[in-house]
Amino acid sequence: MEHESNTEHNAVHMPAPTVWPMVLALGLTLIITGMVTSAAISALGLLLSLAAALGWFREVLPVEAHLMVETHDEEIEISSARKSIDRLPIDPLHRKMVPIETFRVTTGLKGGIAGGIAMIVPATAFSLLKYHSLWYAMNLMAAGGFVSWAGQSNEFLAQFHLQGLLAALIIHTIASLLVGLLYGAMLPMFPRWPILTAGFLAPLIWTGLLRSTLAIISPVLNERINWFWFIPSQIAFGLVTGYVVNLQARVRTPQFQALPFALRAGLHGAIGEPVEKTSKKDGQE
Amino acid sequence: MVTHTPVTSIANSSAAARKHGGAFDVLQEWITTVDHKKIGLMYIGYALIFLVIAGIEALLMRVQLAVPNNTFVSPQTFNRLFTMHGTTMVFFVGMPILFGFGNYLIPLMIGARDMAFPRLNAFSFWISALGGVLLYFSYFAGSGLYGAGTAPDVGWFAYAPLTARVFSPGHSTDYWTLSVLLSGIGSIGTALNIVATTLCMRCPGMKLSRMPLLVWLYFVTSCIAFIAISPLTAAQIMLLIDRYLGGHFFDTQAGGSAVLWMHFFWIFGHPEVYILVLPAFAFANEIIPVFSRKAIFGYPAMVAATIGIGFISMGVWAHHMFTVGLGPNANAFFTLATMVIAVPTGIKIFNWLATLWGGNIHFTTPMIFAIGFLFQFLIAGLTGVMLSASPFDWQLGNSYFVVAHFHYVLVGAILFMIFSAFYYWYPKMTGHMMSEKLGKWHFWLFVIGFHLTFDFMHIPGILGMPRRVYTYEADRGWAIWNMIVSSGAIFQTIATLIFVYNLVWSYFKGPEAGADPWDAWTLEWSTSSPPPSYNFAKTPTVESRRPLWDLKHPEDPDANYE
Repeated sequence: MEHESNTEHNAVHMPAPTVWPMVLALGLTLIITGMVTSAAISALGLLLSLAAALGWFREVLPVEAHLMVETHDEEIEISSARKSIDRLPIDPLHRKMVPIETFRVTTGLKGGIAGGIAMIVPATAFSLLKYHSLWYAMNLMAAGGFVSWAGQSNEFLAQFHLQGLLAALIIHTIASLLVGLLYGAMLPMFPRWPILTAGFLAPLIWTGLLRSTLAIISPVLNERINWFWFIPSQIAFGLVTGYVVNLQARVRTPQFQALPFALRAGLHGAIGEPVEKTSKKDGQE
Repeated sequence: MVTHTPVTSIANSSAAARKHGGAFDVLQEWITTVDHKKIGLMYIGYALIFLVIAGIEALLMRVQLAVPNNTFVSPQTFNRLFTMHGTTMVFFVGMPILFGFGNYLIPLMIGARDMAFPRLNAFSFWISALGGVLLYFSYFAGSGLYGAGTAPDVGWFAYAPLTARVFSPGHSTDYWTLSVLLSGIGSIGTALNIVATTLCMRCPGMKLSRMPLLVWLYFVTSCIAFIAISPLTAAQIMLLIDRYLGGHFFDTQAGGSAVLWMHFFWIFGHPEVYILVLPAFAFANEIIPVFSRKAIFGYPAMVAATIGIGFISMGVWAHHMFTVGLGPNANAFFTLATMVIAVPTGIKIFNWLATLWGGNIHFTTPMIFAIGFLFQFLIAGLTGVMLSASPFDWQLGNSYFVVAHFHYVLVGAILFMIFSAFYYWYPKMTGHMMSEKLGKWHFWLFVIGFHLTFDFMHIPGILGMPRRVYTYEADRGWAIWNMIVSSGAIFQTIATLIFVYNLVWSYFKGPEAGADPWDAWTLEWSTSSPPPSYNFAKTPTVESRRPLWDLKHPEDPDANYE
C-alpha cells in the first residue's frame, strides 16, 4: 500500500505499472484451458505462471516498486449553482430535527418483556375456557416451530410437552423483544394518542398482517388459530408495552447538538415545540 | 449569492507533459496499469462488450419465440443461446460492470489514492476477463481443438444430471465450469480489495458513520461475495471431479445427489442476486439525493437495512427449489425468510421516497433512470413476494412468469441504475458531459421496450408457458403475448444503440464537464474530471457525510446535524 505515502515536494508515491498480474492471470487461465484443449497449453500456462510469480516477487521484495509522480497544485473552485433567495426572517431551527429525543434501546426490550408477560393472561384464559387446559395456546405457538403439530388433535395440543414449552418460550421471547424494540423506536414518532396507536391500532394491523401471511405460509395452522381471542392478547401486549415504554426516561439524539445554545441550556423556548416552516426546509435547497 | 470555496486539488504535470505515444504505448499503458480508475474503466468496457454479445443472444431468442412453430434457429442453437445469455449476463456483464464502478469510485469517495492492493486488483480484472474469453472460445473449440466446436447448452445453472459426461459429452460443459471458476477467483480478489480499502484507507474524519452509502453497500456486497462464491467454486470443482475423475457427487445412479448441486448452486445463486442489486441500490443512494437537492433520508436505517439484507440473503436460497418437494418444514422456513427480506428492502424504498418527498427534483437523465428503477423495482419485489409463497411457486415455477420476475429485477432495477450511473459519473470519468437529448431518447425508448417485453412476459407464464421452451404450438394462446414481448426487444435494442452512440459522441464532442457538474456532495467531485492518477494531491479531511456541502455552505455545515 505504498500509495499511502505522504506528499513530498509536490510528488506522491504511486505503485509502479506492472505486467505480471496480467501474465499470471493468463498463465492460470492457460493451465486450466489445457484441460479442454491440449497438455501443451497447460505446460505453457505453467511456464507463464512461474515467470509471473517470480517477476511479481521481485517487484515487491525487498521493496515495492513505485513511481514518484510529480504534482502541482491547482485551484479547483467548489461552488454551488444553487440560486439563493432573500429569506424571510427564519427560525434558528430552520432544519427540522426529528427526533430530538428518543428512547434507549433497552427501553423497548423492557417493554417487550412486560408486554410478553401480559399477553400470556388472555392466551391462557382462552386455553382454559375453550379447551380446559393451560397448555393449548402454548402448543399452538410451538406449532410455528414444529410444523407437523399444526395437524395434531386438540387432545394432543391440550397436553403438556416439554419441547412445546421450550419452542413456545423461544418464539414468544424473540417475537416479544423484537416488537418491543419496534415500539421503543416508533412511539416517539407518534406522540399523539399513544393509547390508540400503541394499544389498539398497532395490534390490529399486526394481527391482520399475521393472519393474511399465515394463510399462505401454513394454512393448517391458520385455521386452528382463534382470531377472536388472538386480538385481545395482542391488545394486552400493546397496552402494556406502550405503557412501560412511555414510563422510561428519554435520551437526546445527536440532533440535539445542532440546537442553539440557548435552547439546549433551557434558557429560551422548549425543544419539543414544532418549528415553523420557512423558505428553506429540511436542509434542502 | 453563490458560494465559492477554493480547494487545493492536483493536476498531473507528468501526465500533461507526457507525449502521446503510439498504439503500442497506449496498449502497454493499459495492460500494465494498476491504477484503480483505469482498471475500473477496463472492467466497464469489457462488460459493455459482453453486454452487446449477450443482448444479441437475447434478440435471437426473441426472434425464435416471436411466432409459433418457428425454426429461425435450431433447438441445439437455442439451448446454447439461453445458456450463454444467462451465464454472460450474470458473470461477465453484471458483476464486472458493478465491480468496475466500485473500483473507480470507492477510492475517490473515501479520499484514497488507490485500492489497498493495486496489483491484486489488476490480477482480478485480468483473470475475470480471461474467464469470459474462455467461455466464448467454446464456440470454436467446445469439443476439443480438433472436433466441431459447441458452446455450453446446460442452462446458466447447469442442473445435474444434465452436466454428467453421459448427457453432456465433449467439453462444452467444462468450458462453462472453468470459465465460471476463473470469474469466481477474480470476484473474490476484488471483494477482498474492496473490504480492505474500505476498512483501512478512509481519509481523516471519515468514520464509518460518515462513509458514503455507496461505499457501505459495496462493503456489504463484498462480504456477501466472500460467503456466496465459495460454495459455487466448491461445486465447480466437485463437478470437474465427477467429469474427469469418475466422482459421484452429482451422479444419482451411483449414490450421488442431483439436489446437492441445486443446494450448492443456489447458496451462491440467491445471494448473487443481492451482489448484483446492492450496487444498484448504491448508485440510487448517491444519485437520488443529489437530484432531489436533499440529504438522503434515514442514513442509519439505510445502512442497517443493507446489513439486514446481507444476512437474510444467506437464508433464502431454497425458494428456488420449492418444486423439488422440500417438505413442510423447509417450505415454511424458506417462505417466511423470503418474505422477511421484503422488510429491509421496503425500508430502502420508503427512504428513497422520503428523500424525494418535498425535494427540488431535477429531472436529468440520471434521475429519470433512477425514478424508473424505483417504480420497476417495486413491481419486481411484489412479484418476488408472490413467488416466495411455495403453493404459488408450485404453480408458476419454471414458467415465463419467473423469467419475467427476475428480468424485472435484473433489467428494470439493476440495468436502469447502471444506465443512471453512466450518465451521472461519465463526466467524472471522461471530463465530458453526455448528451441530455440523446439520454432522454435512450430512456423513453428503453422504458417503452422494457415494459412491452417484461410486463407482457408475465402473461404467457400464467398461461403455462415453460421457460427455455424452443417453440410452441399455435393453439396454446401464447402467440400474441410472445409477439408483443419480442417487439419490445426491438425498442430496447434501438435504445441501447443510442446509448452506445451517446457514449462515443460525448467522448469526442460532449461539452466540458468541470470538476463538479451536478453540484454534488461527495469527494469524487472535488478533484478534476477525469481525476489524475493519484486522485488527491493532499489527502482530504471530512467532517460530515456531505463534505462538499460543508465546503459550499460553511454557514450551515452538515456536521452540526450528524
